[in-house]
Amino acid sequence: MIYDEYVTQIEGHGRIYFEIKDGKVVEARLEIHEGSRLFESFLRGRRADEVPQMSSRICGVCPVPHNMAAIQALENAMGIEASEQVKMLRRFMLSSQMVQDHALHLYVLAAADYLNVNGVADVYAKYPEAVKRCIRIRTVGNRGIELVGGRAVHPVNSIPGGFAKLPTKADMEKIAKDFKSIMNDCIETFNLFASLKYPEFERATEYLAIDDGKHFPVYAGKLVTNKGVNAEAKDYRKHIKEEFKPYSNTKFCTINGHGFHVGAIARVNLFKDRLNPTAKELLKSSPIKFPSDNPFHNNLAQALEMVHYCEEAIKIAEELAVKLKDEERPKQTKAGTGVGVVEAPRGTLIHEYTVDNNGIVRDANLIIPTGMNTTNIEEDLYALLTANVNKPKEELKWLACQLFRAYDPCLSCSTH
Amino acid sequence: MKPKVAIFDLTDCEGCEVQIVNSKFIDRVLGGVEFVHFRLGQRVNRWDNFDVAFIEGAVITSHELELVKKIREHSKLVIALGSCACFGGIAAITNFMDREEAKKYVYGENADKIETLYIKPLPEIIKVDFMIRGCPIVPEDFERVVSDLFAGRIPREHTRPVCMDCKSKGNPCQLLKGVACAGPVAYGGCGAPCPSAGVPCDGCRGPLEDPQTTAELELLKKIASKDDIIRLFRKFAPMAPIFKEIGGGKL
Repeated sequence: MIYDEYVTQIEGHGRIYFEIKDGKVVEARLEIHEGSRLFESFLRGRRADEVPQMSSRICGVCPVPHNMAAIQALENAMGIEASEQVKMLRRFMLSSQMVQDHALHLYVLAAADYLNVNGVADVYAKYPEAVKRCIRIRTVGNRGIELVGGRAVHPVNSIPGGFAKLPTKADMEKIAKDFKSIMNDCIETFNLFASLKYPEFERATEYLAIDDGKHFPVYAGKLVTNKGVNAEAKDYRKHIKEEFKPYSNTKFCTINGHGFHVGAIARVNLFKDRLNPTAKELLKSSPIKFPSDNPFHNNLAQALEMVHYCEEAIKIAEELAVKLKDEERPKQTKAGTGVGVVEAPRGTLIHEYTVDNNGIVRDANLIIPTGMNTTNIEEDLYALLTANVNKPKEELKWLACQLFRAYDPCLSCSTH
Repeated sequence: MKPKVAIFDLTDCEGCEVQIVNSKFIDRVLGGVEFVHFRLGQRVNRWDNFDVAFIEGAVITSHELELVKKIREHSKLVIALGSCACFGGIAAITNFMDREEAKKYVYGENADKIETLYIKPLPEIIKVDFMIRGCPIVPEDFERVVSDLFAGRIPREHTRPVCMDCKSKGNPCQLLKGVACAGPVAYGGCGAPCPSAGVPCDGCRGPLEDPQTTAELELLKKIASKDDIIRLFRKFAPMAPIFKEIGGGKL
């Protein structure tokens, strides 16, 4: 059969199935039908230097985090210690990705929900200025990734140990100016999303993000939650369990048997004290406060993060415009297993690889943000439907889709 | 009347659709066409007749196999968008592996509940009127093809290898550095982003017409192991003609 009811305006193919009997929700399921590309299988046997480029193909929407998580994991496996400058450039690339990807989700995918129009073409017809703002933001975000990574979609330049080619100081100075030119657009985006009406719904849950002890989450760190998890990334299997469900090609994740939430809302809930000054200031005057247990507020958290990461990109670019220098790239010193963790726009991303003495990948495991969110989405769905059980079915269907969309899910990623 | 356009994505990374959004064309496209079916961009989608349907992604499930046939029935023109549609894409690497073992590695005892077909390029399943190649596509190709189509012209193929793009960028030659590079046989027009960033071309746009394969292989054998040559061609366009043979081990 041809499924026509795949949830629209999300990356990848999935549908929501629910059943209500005698005024009670008896079933609420997230069915993910995205085809399985079997990345973990075919990455085995590849050379470590080609794996980051291949891993980025997991997602064309957020290729940078996959690229970066792969590199970090491979470096840990091969005993390579990247320099502080390399880590700064990686944080810069990830910040650029956050800015442009959040703009894509908010304006192209989610905006239609809140403006109550059919889709992006109607958003453009009715609010051309908003879409033009999105294009300006994305153009600069793309330029940032391209400058350091060589290409906006599927970077080519970043490899274990560092970069095949470095930008110049003048490049960094120029890109800092470019990011400054969109700062106001990011702030406008926050103001727009702070003025929207979000469905009233709350459910307390566990939020997970990475913590490097210093930065608002972005590149490397421990796994931490608001309910006591504080673990080295390499021990992720002790805390995050994956389970197969017969109706989904994506595996479902749990911590201590229940769902948990990763993504913008988790990062802001856990680490709002580490936001850059402008974002922090905006949050003070925001009508919606964090921590928030309303999953729809993830969209506002994304808008807030756009401001934060834009400021972060400016900060890093300005610093490197002064002190960027040529460095030797460190080489493989050992064989073994390594774990890499970064924050993707949609949440914490984990890559794990085993590399042999010849630099060939022998084992791979990938835990994707949307995969982590699956159980939490089902738990939210059940609670949301229960709270609105008397509403007409069509309305419920739409509310369920809107909830799912608010998570900014990526089913291409989660199934991989 | 505005042209009726459909954009479909099968199993893939959706990066080629992102490249459409990245195109300088995007505001003209948004205002200039009627999106009849565009799941990623709108809520209500119809199975009308389409003037043009773009299909991105690889056919991995039997649902997708049926879907592409239905799209063909509804479209005057079908354009394959990106190397997953054109050449099976990265996931078609599994065509060269033991598929059952590959599934078991990921899904363990539940492997038999997962359907993954042998991945065929779209033109082997339905008639495709034009291919926009690349992993990902370059926005300029999308712009050129769309302008041609809407002006009633047949889009033209690029006829030069990636080496020409590379030369025009003034890049040092990867092959001369002793690095295995697919540039001489690879379909050009991409602007050579990979060699420009200091890494070799891996032929993500498939082969150009009538490539000098024998000479390329002779050269590669001098600088790379058999395994590395196979890896180079069994990557982003593994089911493309010629690449399929080399990636399959016929060197």
